[in-house]
Amino acid sequence: MVTTRQWTGYAWAVAAVAAATLAGWAMHPRFDLVNIAMVYLLAVVVVALRLSRGPVIAASIMCVLAFDFLFVPPSGTLTVDDAQYLLTFAIMLVVALIISRLVASVRHRAAAQAALEIEAETERIRSALLASISHDLRTPLAVMAGASSSLAENGERLSPAERRALAGSIFDQAREMSEHVAKVLQMTRLETGAIRIDCDWVALGEIVGSVLARLSERMAGHRVIVDLPDDLPLVRVDATLIEQALGNLLENAARHTPAETVVRVRAQRKEDEVVVTVEDYAGGLSDADLERVFAKFHRGKAEGAETGIGLGLAICRAIVRLHGGRTWAERIPGGGTAFRFTLPLEEAPAMPQEPAPD
Amino acid sequence: MAEARPAILVVEDEPEIRRFLRAAFVLEGYRVVESATGRRGSVDAGTHKPDLAIVDLALPDLDGVEVIRRIREWSPMPIIVLSARVQERSKIEALDAGADDYVTKPFGIGELLARVRAALRGAVRPASGSATLHFGSAIVDLERRMAARGGQEMRLTPIEFRLLAALAKHLGMVVTHRQLLTEVWGPTHAADTHYLRIYMKQLRDKLEVDPVRPRHLLTETGIGYRMVVDE
Repeated sequence: MVTTRQWTGYAWAVAAVAAATLAGWAMHPRFDLVNIAMVYLLAVVVVALRLSRGPVIAASIMCVLAFDFLFVPPSGTLTVDDAQYLLTFAIMLVVALIISRLVASVRHRAAAQAALEIEAETERIRSALLASISHDLRTPLAVMAGASSSLAENGERLSPAERRALAGSIFDQAREMSEHVAKVLQMTRLETGAIRIDCDWVALGEIVGSVLARLSERMAGHRVIVDLPDDLPLVRVDATLIEQALGNLLENAARHTPAETVVRVRAQRKEDEVVVTVEDYAGGLSDADLERVFAKFHRGKAEGAETGIGLGLAICRAIVRLHGGRTWAERIPGGGTAFRFTLPLEEAPAMPQEPAPD
Repeated sequence: MAEARPAILVVEDEPEIRRFLRAAFVLEGYRVVESATGRRGSVDAGTHKPDLAIVDLALPDLDGVEVIRRIREWSPMPIIVLSARVQERSKIEALDAGADDYVTKPFGIGELLARVRAALRGAVRPASGSATLHFGSAIVDLERRMAARGGQEMRLTPIEFRLLAALAKHLGMVVTHRQLLTEVWGPTHAADTHYLRIYMKQLRDKLEVDPVRPRHLLTETGIGYRMVVDE
């Protein structure tokens, strides 16, 4: 089967030969036949650079025939008076084949190079992942092993307060590690497409409420202000995923700004989408960082001792993309950063009106 | 004389998890029956007649949801599900199959004990739910269909009353979207989640001090709602 693409190739070959013929016709008879042969050769070279082997061979044969028929005496026939021209024909064919071979091998090498680069990138991400996992998971593991062995071996010699502190730190570290593992798994699922999104009508106000409840401990040091219009339309999203996306933005804000500063959550309707924003008012990102923060395993300078695994914003972006929305960060004049994402709006289904209570 | 201490059946294949659950429940004064498999658990639920069952969703022999179905065939005992985070789907399945609440692994024991207490309390309440609900300064009397806030009478629609009543039947426990929709609007509307979103907002606007940070009408994202009232 010859595909459309191959047909296009042959069409270009014909066009190139026609162009060479026109040029040759214009040169004839003021230029030597050798120069006209050169024009045909040029056409063959151009075709060989651009097209695949089939059209190249076709072009060189057409060139030979056209040259022979139109220019080589006696013109108007395929008869050749001077046997020298047979050599010219042969050289045209060989040059076409050599060039098309060279081009093919260069193309092949470029493709191999690109594949290598992708592999190197994958490898870089994999080692970043390993470095990240080994640090973020090993530290809590070390605390848990140390604290629990102290309790097991010296429990009765410790004061109740010391025991409580050790047990408490085991619990905290386990929870943190569980968060890290969940994020790594979630990122993997998002990247491999192993996630099924389950969309239903959701009120963003409820999502904000449940995120704030879930993160109440983590956000306790910050002043969280919620700014939602009363008539915000319902959105059709996977509530669990959007809750995560918003939660990651809030965690990020809390982590990178000092305690007692304000974190503001907003949502606004803008034409056929809703823009959700988490703003903080401390520090700010460089132009490069505004985009870089969304990369996997990118970690900013953390304000406190607690650092994330560097996946929160990448997960947020992947989730929002799954919903057909966009994520970006903006600097706030006067200091701070606004992280925004959009969610497309659909027309909400009708709902039977209930008469007002009497 | 019957044993006064409530008995809890723990259906969980991980011995380490059973161990700390047993320790915590015994300290709280409960009796504990342990089953390491789903089949064993279904049988133990019948022979030991516990007051409450805790069922892990990921069991080696039988799906946890199946264990719940088997128990539900003959017993209304409260069932709390233990699930891993990735089991969102089976968690809803378990709740729709009759589980009363869930706790996601890893969990703190305090969280589980609170769920157990709420579920046991719910089990001794009459099926109609408690008649008077206190939401801070707001009071709703389901029987007389009256509501007030700060001493001021307040009007609720019939559907709002029905929704509160449906949540009150499982006070302190999670109720799935499907359960609420079926109970309030009927089975043909079991998938019309947007009804719930709109009515829950109305109810929060009327009953909560800060509707965005509700303290009584709580959202269980992707699952349903939970009502918590002042005792």
